[in-house]
Amino acid sequence: MAKNGAAKYNNTWFLRALQLFNMEEAIQSRHTAVAPALASREHAVDVVYTPGGMRRDGVGGWRIMFKELAESRRLIWLLMLRDISVRYRQSILGYVWAVVPQLATVGVFAFLHSSQVLSISGTRIAYVAYALWGISVWQLFAGCLSGCTTSLVSSGSLVTKVNFPREALVVAALGQPIFDFLVRLVPVVAVFVWYGVTPSWESVFIPLVLLPIMLLALGLGFVLSIANLVIRDTGNALGTALTIGMFLTPIFYPPPVRWPFSLVNLLNPFSPLLAASQDLIAQGFLSRPEMFAAACLLSLILALAGWRAFRVTILRVAGYA
Amino acid sequence: MPADTIISVQGVSKKFCRSLKRTMLYGVRDVACDLFGFSQNSNGLRPDEFWALDDVSFEVKRGECLGVIGPNGAGKSTLLKLLGGITLPDKGRIKVTGRVGALLELGAGFHPMLTGRENIHLTGTILGLGEKDIAETFDAIVDFADLKEFIDVPVKYYSSGMYVRLGYAIAAHLDRDVLLIDEVLAVGDVGFRAKCVRHIQNFLERGGSVILVSHDLGAVGSLCEPTLLMKSGQTWRFGPTEEVLNVYYTYGDGRSTSGHGAMPAGQTGQDSYSENAPVAIVDVSALNVAGRKQSIFRTGEAMTICVEFTTAEPVENPVFGVAIYNTHGARCHAITTLTDDWRVGPVNGRATIKLRYPQLNLLAGRYIVAVSVSDATGLNCWQYIGFSCDFFVDQHCRRDTGQIFLPHEWSINDLDDSPEIS
Repeated sequence: MAKNGAAKYNNTWFLRALQLFNMEEAIQSRHTAVAPALASREHAVDVVYTPGGMRRDGVGGWRIMFKELAESRRLIWLLMLRDISVRYRQSILGYVWAVVPQLATVGVFAFLHSSQVLSISGTRIAYVAYALWGISVWQLFAGCLSGCTTSLVSSGSLVTKVNFPREALVVAALGQPIFDFLVRLVPVVAVFVWYGVTPSWESVFIPLVLLPIMLLALGLGFVLSIANLVIRDTGNALGTALTIGMFLTPIFYPPPVRWPFSLVNLLNPFSPLLAASQDLIAQGFLSRPEMFAAACLLSLILALAGWRAFRVTILRVAGYA
Repeated sequence: MPADTIISVQGVSKKFCRSLKRTMLYGVRDVACDLFGFSQNSNGLRPDEFWALDDVSFEVKRGECLGVIGPNGAGKSTLLKLLGGITLPDKGRIKVTGRVGALLELGAGFHPMLTGRENIHLTGTILGLGEKDIAETFDAIVDFADLKEFIDVPVKYYSSGMYVRLGYAIAAHLDRDVLLIDEVLAVGDVGFRAKCVRHIQNFLERGGSVILVSHDLGAVGSLCEPTLLMKSGQTWRFGPTEEVLNVYYTYGDGRSTSGHGAMPAGQTGQDSYSENAPVAIVDVSALNVAGRKQSIFRTGEAMTICVEFTTAEPVENPVFGVAIYNTHGARCHAITTLTDDWRVGPVNGRATIKLRYPQLNLLAGRYIVAVSVSDATGLNCWQYIGFSCDFFVDQHCRRDTGQIFLPHEWSINDLDDSPEIS
């Protein structure tokens, strides 16, 4: 009986997915000799721990950071798979839950819109399609940001008792929201078809717009994850900030043009990125390329700076989890 | 094999903060200093801070097993965290040659919803194993943990013993140069414990180094050489295991030995004293052959328990009792004058009664003496003292384990050739 069970579970997609990722390694492994006695090993590397040791990495630190990130790609992949695989294991509706909140929110706004309680005009595509796309992109961003922020605290003893590249936890927190986003594309496509909206062919470049969105979330997430370890208010504050941020972003309304409401487009680094994706769908070119470029640059700088800040401080605060 | 140094710890200190609120404040400050490159004076203590580790230095060589012992809160686990690179020291320098496997909490990376099989893959990867290594060692891990039937069950349905077994099995197959082991021998059943000890011995023979933190002094005595004894963050003794263990046995946990110390209150019974008792116990002590007070006895040595008492009025045949408990509260020996049919006779004023053990056949450890006095029937207890004095036993070079020493001898008979059996 155990044997049948093993065969069945051995084929869970979690295990299949991780085997897929390592096909070439798995094949090589069959021809490897047994590990030699420890003493004869030549790999011995000296590791030195001193106070503030991380700070003095200098420019060479960047090389190490990228090397370690590359080395932990399998770990990141596994952690992503774990989160996605585990989330709905003890649930009946499963992945349907990924789309329920988004559909509910848009449903409310569509109702308010159609019953003229809220009068929103000037969206270039059908309102429901516009709002659904906007909220999907927003939830990708919000999901990534809150996932990264809580990643260290929710890992508990893993952070306090195990020495491993902890950035993997933060980066892996992107997996769940990205997966959810892909699931949410199903109702998005359905709504686009229903309302007869045909996106321009340039929409294939949308992933290039989503990339800076994720980098922005990751950069902020690196910093906030550390902040959350030290002060737990961070998580609560972020929840509130994201709720406000959702309404200060042109999701349920077109980008405002009148001063001072147009500030929303300028001060919110997320707005130009969302607007770029909306532009690509509706017209196939960017109406404010300079804003988009600035937002991209900001995202990249934030991601790198956040990552560096994370590296410098993580060992000091690892005990706080 | 060259006796090269694998771990060198020089003057390492680490401070901690007692207050959560202050931890936040200091955390923000320290993080800001780290970020903007301000060097800060980390030598001083701020309010609510204390040194969890204070100027600790030692070296571990290849193939050595360093035992780390000491009372709770001595800084043993903090030391392992620093050695494992989980947090950085505030002062000093740690140099580790080779790869370190830290077994600080077994199953720390497990996700309860994942099956044992999935957790082996995930935890193995967290600990730095490649897919290749995991594929190679997977069966060995399952065998070691003895979890064949349960490997496809979510680990949240595992018993705590199974959970820990799987955690140890993964860590044991990491193929590291140094293992940091924190109190993991205390968990798991007897069979698994023996397996862990075998694994550690095997690892040492292959040239690995181990740092073993344990309260199981028997295990430390048989596995470790040398041993570090710590007390409130400082090195108390560092040297040959036997010497260090003797220091620990002699001084106990470093707290007052006249109090209950490591004994949970009430384990040897609640002290009692009846108001109108005609007899009062004044002092209890353990004496050596020469009749002097002594706190460490060797196994097999003679020991005398001396009970000094006073009476308020002449008393006929009071009954005295003496019991010896180990630190787990198990009664090793108990006897009363009544059960021994030994008549005390009439007593008056100050007197002492002595119980002599010509051979103290106890093995290493700390022992607590409880005494009682009651009326001639033995039914009305006048006074009971659960912790009247304590002593330590040093079993010296005896290799026996357990609580008592039983004189023994081995013999062998070959059944095929022995004519008297066939």
